[in-house]
Amino acid sequence: MTEDVIATRARALAGALAESGFARVRIRDGETEIELRRAAGSAGARALAPAAAADGVAGEREPVREPAARAADVIASEVVGIVRFLRPPVIEGQEVEADRDLGYVETLGIRNAVRTRGPGRMGAILVTDGQAVEYGQPLFTVERV
Amino acid sequence: MFKKVLIANRGEIALRINRACHELGVSTVAIFSDVDRQSLHVRYADEAFCVGPGPVMRSYLNIPNIISAALISGCDAIHPGYGFLAENARFAEIAADHGLVFIGPKPAVIAAMGDKATAKRLMSEAGVPTTPGSGIVASVDEAKAVADEIGYPVLLKATAGGGGKGMRAVSSADELPTAFATARAEAEASFKDGRMYVEKLIVNPRHVEVQVLADEHGGAVHLGERDCSVQKPSHQKLIEEAPAPELDPAVRARLHEVAVSAVRAVGYTNAGTLEFLVSGDQTYFMEMNTRIQVEHPVTELVYGVDLVKEQIRIASGEPLGFTQDDLQAHGHAIEVRVNAEDPQNGFAPAAGTLTNVVFPGGPGIRVDTHVYTGAVVPPFYDSMLAKIVAVGRTRESALLRMERALGETRIEGVKTTVDICREIVADPEFRAGGIGVAWLPAFLARRTAAV
Repeated sequence: MTEDVIATRARALAGALAESGFARVRIRDGETEIELRRAAGSAGARALAPAAAADGVAGEREPVREPAARAADVIASEVVGIVRFLRPPVIEGQEVEADRDLGYVETLGIRNAVRTRGPGRMGAILVTDGQAVEYGQPLFTVERV
Repeated sequence: MFKKVLIANRGEIALRINRACHELGVSTVAIFSDVDRQSLHVRYADEAFCVGPGPVMRSYLNIPNIISAALISGCDAIHPGYGFLAENARFAEIAADHGLVFIGPKPAVIAAMGDKATAKRLMSEAGVPTTPGSGIVASVDEAKAVADEIGYPVLLKATAGGGGKGMRAVSSADELPTAFATARAEAEASFKDGRMYVEKLIVNPRHVEVQVLADEHGGAVHLGERDCSVQKPSHQKLIEEAPAPELDPAVRARLHEVAVSAVRAVGYTNAGTLEFLVSGDQTYFMEMNTRIQVEHPVTELVYGVDLVKEQIRIASGEPLGFTQDDLQAHGHAIEVRVNAEDPQNGFAPAAGTLTNVVFPGGPGIRVDTHVYTGAVVPPFYDSMLAKIVAVGRTRESALLRMERALGETRIEGVKTTVDICREIVADPEFRAGGIGVAWLPAFLARRTAAV
């Protein structure tokens, strides 16, 4: 499955999750598995890359505090490296414009920019500054407004 | 010994390396493309990183992402397996530049052996018999002069070549100009290197290769030979065995001896294989593979040595734990490659979901595989699903075991090479031993004609 298809599916799933009120949704299609969960205290849907280590997380129910947005862009890493946030870092709920720099993923000294696609409001911040990330790992969601 | 090794591969060999590491108490980091997320090598490794999408250029050949995964996970070494980056000298250099040990020979040796004309010259200088032929020929006229001297048929070969690309058999002077032009164009397109050389074409030789191990302290041994003469029309190996059946003991001894002296002469370290063509009592060096090979299990089963563990030990600086005299071959082993391919359709690769998978077991059977019922065979990679290996006290007992094991094997959902291999193993000519590389294509042609 191509990354575009995965991103499209992840986006569609994020929208469905936001509207459904479920805490966690997972779809599996042969070789690909996409799981999205609401993070505790988070307004937006949380997308998880189902790396081996993240597999089989217990299905704990997490409270939904606010109605979530209709659709979200999932901003994923294109490389394997260490993610760095720009200062000051964006926060959940902050409005962002299109092509806004959110940070970068550093691979062998090269800084690969992480940017928003369209304008919107910052949804979930899925990683912490300095965290190791893999290819395709969701970093941020941006809710379309 | 290393603490953590990144396995820069997929499929059965990634799993094989994972097993060796765990037996040595070494942690493992797998890499995978996003279509391989459910693969066993990912599940069994201690950590795993997705390095890119399905196409190999963006995942299993993505050097920055692979090196980055090794660094951020705190690895001290990288095992490349076979294929992908295993014989990429630049990758070995980049790994070293980042403080990672490449589990294989030194980059300069990989580069020298990867260039076929250079390898042949170095081996010739080390006293290894090579096919009569030339160095690089700059033009058709030069190629023609060489061919006239050594006699037709000849083989035109690209020095950067591999997998049959940039290679042409030429049976007469008339064919030479066209063959030279097309082979060179193919080599330029495939390898960005159109340099060609000429060698004598040996008709229907046997493919016999010698396994070597060399440490970084001057220790070097051979682990006997493998016969890989059962090759598809594309020259890819299908069935391998150790030792080579019906091989003149004097030829066998000479191959072993020259392999070890060649290893010492070129300063080779780690595991490697010298491939030879054997015709009667004549032997010709073909190429050296500077990696672990697909068919290494047959050697492991007759010598009782874990070659992958030895690779890791050698790379970590340990001396070989044995001498040549400590190594004795016992019995006979044979390996069949179970590929997702359609033998009725030129071994065209197949992709899809494996709806039912049952592998054989019982005495003397080893199965190296990464697939299971429900596994998906993606279209991007090598079509090998499994290696079934049988060992017995004699060749006859190993072959009987293999027939029995292939009969137990069930793989549904894609076409495979199981049935054709069972036919081959039961064939009287194959059973007699000593067939050449032209045997399987002829066997397939006879079979098609009979249908």
